[in-house]
Amino acid sequence: MIRFVLRRLLQSVPLLLVISLLIFTLIHAAPGGPLSTYLENPNVRPEDIERLRKAMGLDRPLGMQYLSWLAAFVRGDWGFSYADGRPVLDRLVERIPATLELIGVACAMALIAALPAGILAAVNRRFDRVSSVFAVAGISLPVFWFGLVLQLVFAGALGWLPSSGRASFDGGDLADRLAHLILPATVLAAALSAAWSRYLRRAMRDTVARPFIRAARSRGLTERTLLLHHALPNALPTFVTVVLLDISMLASGAVVTESIFAWPGIGSLFTEALGKRDYAVLMAFLMCGSVAVMVLNLVADLAVHALDPRTREAA
Amino acid sequence: MKRSLIGSLPLALVLTACGGGGGDTPRAPKAVGDLLTIGYDREPDTMNRYATHILEDIESCVVEGLVVNDEKMNIIPVLALEVPTIGNGGVTIRPDGGMDVTWKLRPGVKWHDGVPHTSADVKFTVDAINKGDWKPESVDGFDRIASVETPDSLTAVVHYREVYAPYRLQFVRGTLPKHILDGKSIDAATDYNRKPLGTGPYRVVEWKTGEYILLEGVPNYWRGAEFPKIKRLLFKFLPNTTTRINQLKSGEVQLVALVPWDKVRELRGLPDVRLNQVVGNGYEHVTLNQKRFTPFADVVVRRAMAHAIDRDLIVNTLLDSLVTVVNGPIQPLSSAYEKDVTTYPFDPARARALLDSAGWITGADGIRAKGGKRLAFTLITQSGFAIRENVSQTLQKQFRDVGIDASVRLIDGTSISSVWFKGDFDAMLHWWQQGADPEMTLFFAADRMPPAGRNINYFKDDSLTAMLYASDRTADEEKRIALLKAAQRRLAVLIPELPLYNTAKVDAVPARLTGFTGNPTNAGPFWNVYQWQLTAR
Amino acid sequence: MNAASLSNAGAAAATRRAPRVAAYLLGALVLGAVLAPALAPFAVDALDLANRRAAPSPLHWFGTDELGRDVMTRVLFGARVSLAIGLVSALVSAAIGAAVGATAGYAGRVVDDILMRVTDAMLAIPRLPLLMITAAVLQPSVPVLVLLVGLAGWMETARVVRAEVLSLAARDFVAAARAMGATPLRVVLRHVLPGVIPAAAVATTLAVGRGILLESALSFFGVGVQPPTASWGNMLYQAQTTMTSEPWLAIFPGAMIFVTVLACNAVGDAIGAARG
Repeated sequence: MIRFVLRRLLQSVPLLLVISLLIFTLIHAAPGGPLSTYLENPNVRPEDIERLRKAMGLDRPLGMQYLSWLAAFVRGDWGFSYADGRPVLDRLVERIPATLELIGVACAMALIAALPAGILAAVNRRFDRVSSVFAVAGISLPVFWFGLVLQLVFAGALGWLPSSGRASFDGGDLADRLAHLILPATVLAAALSAAWSRYLRRAMRDTVARPFIRAARSRGLTERTLLLHHALPNALPTFVTVVLLDISMLASGAVVTESIFAWPGIGSLFTEALGKRDYAVLMAFLMCGSVAVMVLNLVADLAVHALDPRTREAA
Repeated sequence: MKRSLIGSLPLALVLTACGGGGGDTPRAPKAVGDLLTIGYDREPDTMNRYATHILEDIESCVVEGLVVNDEKMNIIPVLALEVPTIGNGGVTIRPDGGMDVTWKLRPGVKWHDGVPHTSADVKFTVDAINKGDWKPESVDGFDRIASVETPDSLTAVVHYREVYAPYRLQFVRGTLPKHILDGKSIDAATDYNRKPLGTGPYRVVEWKTGEYILLEGVPNYWRGAEFPKIKRLLFKFLPNTTTRINQLKSGEVQLVALVPWDKVRELRGLPDVRLNQVVGNGYEHVTLNQKRFTPFADVVVRRAMAHAIDRDLIVNTLLDSLVTVVNGPIQPLSSAYEKDVTTYPFDPARARALLDSAGWITGADGIRAKGGKRLAFTLITQSGFAIRENVSQTLQKQFRDVGIDASVRLIDGTSISSVWFKGDFDAMLHWWQQGADPEMTLFFAADRMPPAGRNINYFKDDSLTAMLYASDRTADEEKRIALLKAAQRRLAVLIPELPLYNTAKVDAVPARLTGFTGNPTNAGPFWNVYQWQLTAR
Repeated sequence: MNAASLSNAGAAAATRRAPRVAAYLLGALVLGAVLAPALAPFAVDALDLANRRAAPSPLHWFGTDELGRDVMTRVLFGARVSLAIGLVSALVSAAIGAAVGATAGYAGRVVDDILMRVTDAMLAIPRLPLLMITAAVLQPSVPVLVLLVGLAGWMETARVVRAEVLSLAARDFVAAARAMGATPLRVVLRHVLPGVIPAAAVATTLAVGRGILLESALSFFGVGVQPPTASWGNMLYQAQTTMTSEPWLAIFPGAMIFVTVLACNAVGDAIGAARG
């Protein structure tokens, strides 16, 4: 097991190198640069642009910019934001707690809804029908649209909840924080729980149809025991894989949700950085996102090994 | 205030909230009258006014300029005692062609830390910017200053190497505090750049990244202890427009500056919101890139295109009459505005006749062509800007009606700047937002095509260029205006770009906010924030 | 009720009416999209500024938009774009994903390692951000978006298929087939792949909806399908601020997205149930 983990970690080094080269090329291929927004101001003259380009080191050949970025990056020096001149690391670190808070709560909400819903849908046809309608609704709503409707209803018309932000500036007690969390977390959780409950239901149904369950059934076990003690454990590996993969997708922040709800996480940092072509922040963001996904992937693989009786036997 | 306590409970709460922090309401320390919450569309990059490259709304509450321009675009003194002119002896032209500008500073002004604001700060500002070891956004004008003399602590004499007509706005961004920044790397002076030391009505209390900036009124503002009237300003960063509007509707924010025009309709009729509208000093137009699409080089084609556009229809429908049709780059607000210029009323028959006369003959597909070249081009505009998306599609249809094929392409806001800077487009629907000074050289002089300037029509007219440069080198206001008026008449005849309508600056403010005027330029609506007051209804 | 009848009843109900209706519905949607120029009551670019934001009426069944264009016409033309992005990109994803997943799962160590690390790399880069950047680079057109969304979505399918193949390959009947000397390709095609289809089908049906939604998310950031070309996503995006005053602008494209995803899921379920 330890050798497996080590091997994967070693393999990830060249992968990260390739990824870094790919995203460096991509973000520099996008039209515009950190100085684009300066052009809108008539007082900024071409001489100013030239001066700033030099000062920011943007006049060097791209290959050299990449190499110097890479050399600094591996030493832990992630450079300075092109937008506000502060260290990139500071800018990322100050945003991470908000994102963790949001996706943590959203995933918890989604799991709490998806586990019973998925199991119930697998055993009860009527519930299946009802829940599948909700599930489809959950995954077929564009996130931005759902979020705005929630704002209009719960913050606008009813006035029950704050429409956006992470906390009131002078409040910040637990109740206030939770009130701010409800809407964005609901938006995220809706899509997740819908997808997860369907995966779980599917996986359990498949298991129910397998020979070993039929055999167990012929031994006279009750339906309830069959489902909870045989079908569910066998369905879990697929389910856990899906859950972890989905969470890893969120590791880079929920870009749309954070934008709609003015949530001060790394997702909104990305949106801002992309708009400003803040190369340093973009690189750091994408690299961190990639590493986070790789780690969660590894965890997913380990979880499958740990949970699945079949692969455990096969290995 | 007492009266409110007699009313029903909800009424009492409302009125208490409106209290404005009177001393007789000890039980309402967080009264809403003390706090104005602003929904702001972006987070500043830095609070250093010289380094920021976005609007200086928040900064201008803290750091004051020597002058500011008011809602009528008059340039009025703030930290200066008066605006120097030739007439009042503040400006003299030297025999060597240079220019001396004498700034008299307002006595008794102190930085927020109690240190007096002096001419040494003016000199330090110029020297720091010209030293070139940090990244101010623009060094425009500063690079023409040879030196600054400080005969006394309240007088700064600025020696320009040449005549610089927009000198009045040289210090609109204020001064840098010498006693804080001297000998420091300004780029790295995080303390200053996050919480700048100013002389203004407010100071920064807290900047919570990604969330808000909280400003608090200073106790001894130089205009008097009664200013600022509003104790605290909270700028919440809400980049998504719909989110911002939703927060305004729900009352979570009370003020939104620069409401997009397509959102104005839904804010009308909100009981607590007043829509303050001023004409902006900018104009929406279609830039015609003659270098890239050569048929635009023919003035007859350009005139035909101008006649093909029904600007009144566009303004009255798509823009809900928020703006008015304009005929040139300088707006009526400006003292340099020329009213009597050639105009091009909507007249499709005339447009067709002009195109026929220029040899552009309608082909089988309804599109005109000449010598095998079709009159077909791409019109680019910024995406995510609903009004522009709609106007560009309307233009497409109106051009099509006279046999011109314009296909619309939307480009995101960051990309489009680099596209036009490279001249990589045929035609573009966009605006220029201008400052209080009427300089046009950058946009129309023949030698100001990118990268040397913003003449992105790639338009060349020697007599116009001569007029524009002459105006830049004239410090005498009247003579300069005469030259600029002549230039506007010339522009209207040659019509290098198609002017459409001016801009409107619509700010949504609380109905009970007094003292708010808005501002036509990028000086922004916060220019007189010290006067604002939240009154009881 | 015993379990056999339970699962049979479920499968029977699922295979009977609902999926057939859903399949017809999808067919009708695709047909409507293909025949849009003939079916649409108005020209797709016909503006009518005097008649902006008109409510649904006998003349304009779905009302008109900001420019006085017929919303029904735009929904029909939008179907071409949205269905292309949803269906084609899902098929692209499914094909790549199934091929990669099955190969990796069955072939074992070295091949598995290489393929899965490539999958990991693709999976590792945050997807929506990557798409936003790529779309900004490529200046999105419909074919580009179809390809981008498809290329961005195959990794999950690959992982799910691989996991399924691994567990199937460990089972007795596959081992038996192998023992009887069947070639690897034959084992994969005849014994493993059919067993994988339920999981892959679910992943694919979800991918259709996800593709359509991803396009709308890109529209939200200004890098999706660009007006004047209509897609359900960008129509919905443009309607976001007028949801209270002109609800028809949001309701019709929104309903189309909902119905399409619903139908795809019903069909996917039926495929899954039939094979399972």
